[in-house]
Amino acid sequence: MKWLPSFGFQRRNRELQEEIDAHLQMAVADRVARGETEETARQAATREFGNIALVQDVTRQMWGGGWFEQIGRDVRYALRQLRKSPGFTITATAMLTVAICANSTVFSWIDGTMLRPIPGARDTGDLFSLQRGERNFSPTPPFSYLDYRDLREQNRTFTGVLAYHHDWITLTGGAEPERAYIANVSANYFDVLGIKPMLGRFFLSEEETDPATPSVVLSYSLWKTRYAEDAAIVGKSIEIARHPVTVIGVAPEGVVGAMPGLRDDLWVTLDPLGTDVWRMTHRSGGAVWLNVIGRLRPGVSRGQAAQDLDTVMHHIVAEYPDEHLGENRITLDPMWRSPFGANGYMAATLPILLAFAALVLLLTCANVATLTLVRFVSRRRELAIRQSLGANRIQLVWQMVLEGMVLSIVAGSVALVLTSWTSKTFAWFFPANSNPVILNGSMDHKVVIGIAVSSLLAGMLCGALPGWRSSHAPAIEVLKAESASISGGSRNRKLLSGLVVAQIALSLPLLICSGLFLRTLRNLAVANPGFEQDHILTATVGLNIAGYGRDEEQVIRHKILDRVSALPGVKVASFTDWIPMTLSHKGEDAYPEGYVPHPHESLQVYHAEVGPRYFESLHIPILEGREFTPHDDEKAPRVLIVDQTAARRYWPGQDPLGKNLRIWGRLFAVVGVARNSTHMLVNESPEPMVYMSFFQQGYETIVQVETEGNPVDLAPAVQNAIHEIDTRLPVFNVRSMRESTQMASSFAVIQSTLAGMFALIGLVLAVTGIYGVVAYRTQMRTHEIGVRMAVGASRVDVLRLVLSQGLSLTGIGLALGLAFALGLTRLIARLLYGIGANDPVTVVSVVMLLGAMSLVACYLPAHRAMRRNPVTAIREL
Amino acid sequence: MNEKDQYKNRIELLQGTLDMLILQTLQWGPQHGYGIVQALRLRSGDVLHVETGSLYPALHRLERQGWVQSEWKQSESKQKARYYRITAKGKKQLASDLGRWERIVEAIGSVMYVKPEESAS
Repeated sequence: MKWLPSFGFQRRNRELQEEIDAHLQMAVADRVARGETEETARQAATREFGNIALVQDVTRQMWGGGWFEQIGRDVRYALRQLRKSPGFTITATAMLTVAICANSTVFSWIDGTMLRPIPGARDTGDLFSLQRGERNFSPTPPFSYLDYRDLREQNRTFTGVLAYHHDWITLTGGAEPERAYIANVSANYFDVLGIKPMLGRFFLSEEETDPATPSVVLSYSLWKTRYAEDAAIVGKSIEIARHPVTVIGVAPEGVVGAMPGLRDDLWVTLDPLGTDVWRMTHRSGGAVWLNVIGRLRPGVSRGQAAQDLDTVMHHIVAEYPDEHLGENRITLDPMWRSPFGANGYMAATLPILLAFAALVLLLTCANVATLTLVRFVSRRRELAIRQSLGANRIQLVWQMVLEGMVLSIVAGSVALVLTSWTSKTFAWFFPANSNPVILNGSMDHKVVIGIAVSSLLAGMLCGALPGWRSSHAPAIEVLKAESASISGGSRNRKLLSGLVVAQIALSLPLLICSGLFLRTLRNLAVANPGFEQDHILTATVGLNIAGYGRDEEQVIRHKILDRVSALPGVKVASFTDWIPMTLSHKGEDAYPEGYVPHPHESLQVYHAEVGPRYFESLHIPILEGREFTPHDDEKAPRVLIVDQTAARRYWPGQDPLGKNLRIWGRLFAVVGVARNSTHMLVNESPEPMVYMSFFQQGYETIVQVETEGNPVDLAPAVQNAIHEIDTRLPVFNVRSMRESTQMASSFAVIQSTLAGMFALIGLVLAVTGIYGVVAYRTQMRTHEIGVRMAVGASRVDVLRLVLSQGLSLTGIGLALGLAFALGLTRLIARLLYGIGANDPVTVVSVVMLLGAMSLVACYLPAHRAMRRNPVTAIREL
Repeated sequence: MNEKDQYKNRIELLQGTLDMLILQTLQWGPQHGYGIVQALRLRSGDVLHVETGSLYPALHRLERQGWVQSEWKQSESKQKARYYRITAKGKKQLASDLGRWERIVEAIGSVMYVKPEESAS
């Protein structure tokens, strides 16, 4: 134990020993001088002195002030005890490590995502995300510039309100065109976030609407990778989508923008080229494009702020009623659960997983406490001796708590090391997709504190309970008693039983929840999204972001369609500018002719721009009317295809064909009705969807190919075909539909993976827990069983005796666990698909699984007891 | 009652008194633990037997309070032992202990030796 600081404790101890030795020797010398023999003198002196160890002990207490030394001594004692039973020590430490690591891993994910919504920003707790209308998952940007400006200028509850629009673009001018994520931001964007430039400056307020020259702020990583950390980059001109823009500054390292979970590479003003005047001067339709975040004034509550904004919004609506037909109430969300970006999904998933992890920790503590109790019961004599030597109950409990602490601190340290790795595994759950997802866990002081707290709690739980119980026994009785009765004061039996019941009751809900999650995942996987996923390849062509003119674009598009259609192995080639089930969608307010909206009804519809034969390639049936044709181009009248949800909502009981819908102030005529298909998530509530003709409204160009064989095999051929037209055309996100749509189930995968792992741990703990207790008790009753058999009990009687004991505990545990589970599954009901929260099949099979495992766990020791020879069993005292 | 508690009670009983006796013994010169026990026994006419379980805790406590100091020295019989010496602070403490002791003895005495006629009136 050299590594523990002793702070002079050992020296003082040695001196005390020498002092006592001197005392004895002088006493002996005096007696010898008086004529006694050496031998009798030594005996008499020792007798006269009394209990040396006790004198040392009480003297040491006088040293006082040395609580540190006291603890050091106690820790050394605890370590010695733990070293004596390596099996227990290793098992308990390993179990605690796993449980603590489970907690810290999930917490590091929460810490890295929800608790760090905007990396680099100051006091993100004061930032609130503004949402207009009904609350939903991943809504479209809710505000027009003019509305935003009015809100910013007229509110009285925010120190600053920023706006941004997340988009992507192509960086040109270098050797290779490169796709980059860009945000159009209000001039006060970095100010409100509290971020200072690393180089140069950020935007000035006069640049917001009227920039003298187009200017850009680069992110640190873009500056590093594409511009080689050029320290003199400020003032230089770079090319974005073939337009020269001036770099005015570089953001500090780690700053990735205000949309949680997504990365921006560069920032420009709202209308940097002065080409979007329409968008800056209107309040509805395509001019509703901004996400807004405000920083609350100190001392203002969220409710007051929401009321303030509602008042401002009310005035805006009163002034411009035609531009604000839908729902206009404003809700505020703290950034950790902001519906924009990833945190909406995180907030629905991660806290539940953390609760599961906490259950696992509790379960582990119960298990370790069981082991500790069994161990302490067999250490009963040691404890009794210590007690009779003057240790009081508090000291004994303290000693056991300390042993628990030592275990859990070691476990916590190992968990700390493990978590620094497991925290980074979060990114594994997100398949490659077209969004710049930067979600990952993070390991910082909050996680370390979390680990420390859970270790200490675990240590207390593992040590205090058994410690208190064991120390209750009157010392004399224990010392006098035979070994058989040492095992089982009825109090200890009760505590052991309680712990076993607790373990089963805690593991049952874990198992049920994971069963529900696993079945949800399977249901999601086999669910029919209403479109073909298996033989589809998609590839994005960076036409719109590469700076071509509108006419050039159309020509290139037609060329692409011709070349790709002609490729061998291609059945149908088409265009779209949106891929379903990738957690992204485009929304727009649509005003159906002849439809009177309910007050506060949201008029937002999803929309996608799709080319001819799009529905054919995805196997989505057109129920009425027709599909788009190549003739539905810019010269032709605007046309629309609606899905069943839109048709039923706007024209119930009527023929939708030929009806008109006003979007962006233009009339579109319905030419077809498509069958409903999944837009975002399999378990979504259907939103009305309108499809527009790609050659009329298409923005982003995604080539969609139905293939004969494996779609991925065709990827190089498709890419070549496009590059044959223009080698400078950026082609990216080439992947199969199946791969893209995995994004929609990534949270289900996270839930079921973790819940499954936790449940497995729970199952193992519960089963080993009940096995341990039944085996231990049976062993302690060997003598009794021997007697029973000697007086005529049959083996079956013995089996029944042991089994009934274990199974009654299991039964109580299962009943309690079931009640607990029914409460818990209500919390996850929202996350399930195709299965009820109390699904009887899952519940029954999990109860049967746990029951069967317990039966095996009880049978093994029962079987062993039954096979004992009664004669040897009786002898075994 | 276990052994530990008995010791505790004894220390409490002699609390102050044992301290005073030890300090008084050390007035006559530095002494080691065994010497203190012997001195007290001799001077009390073999009445006071100080238990080692009380003596050593008391000595270590007195040292912590700064009333005595200790050092290792050879005794006359060439035995290396820890000698305790009273400090100036200890002498002050002894004086106040003695004063308190005298008051207690006096007070107890005046209770115990009350004259009968006074109590009758």
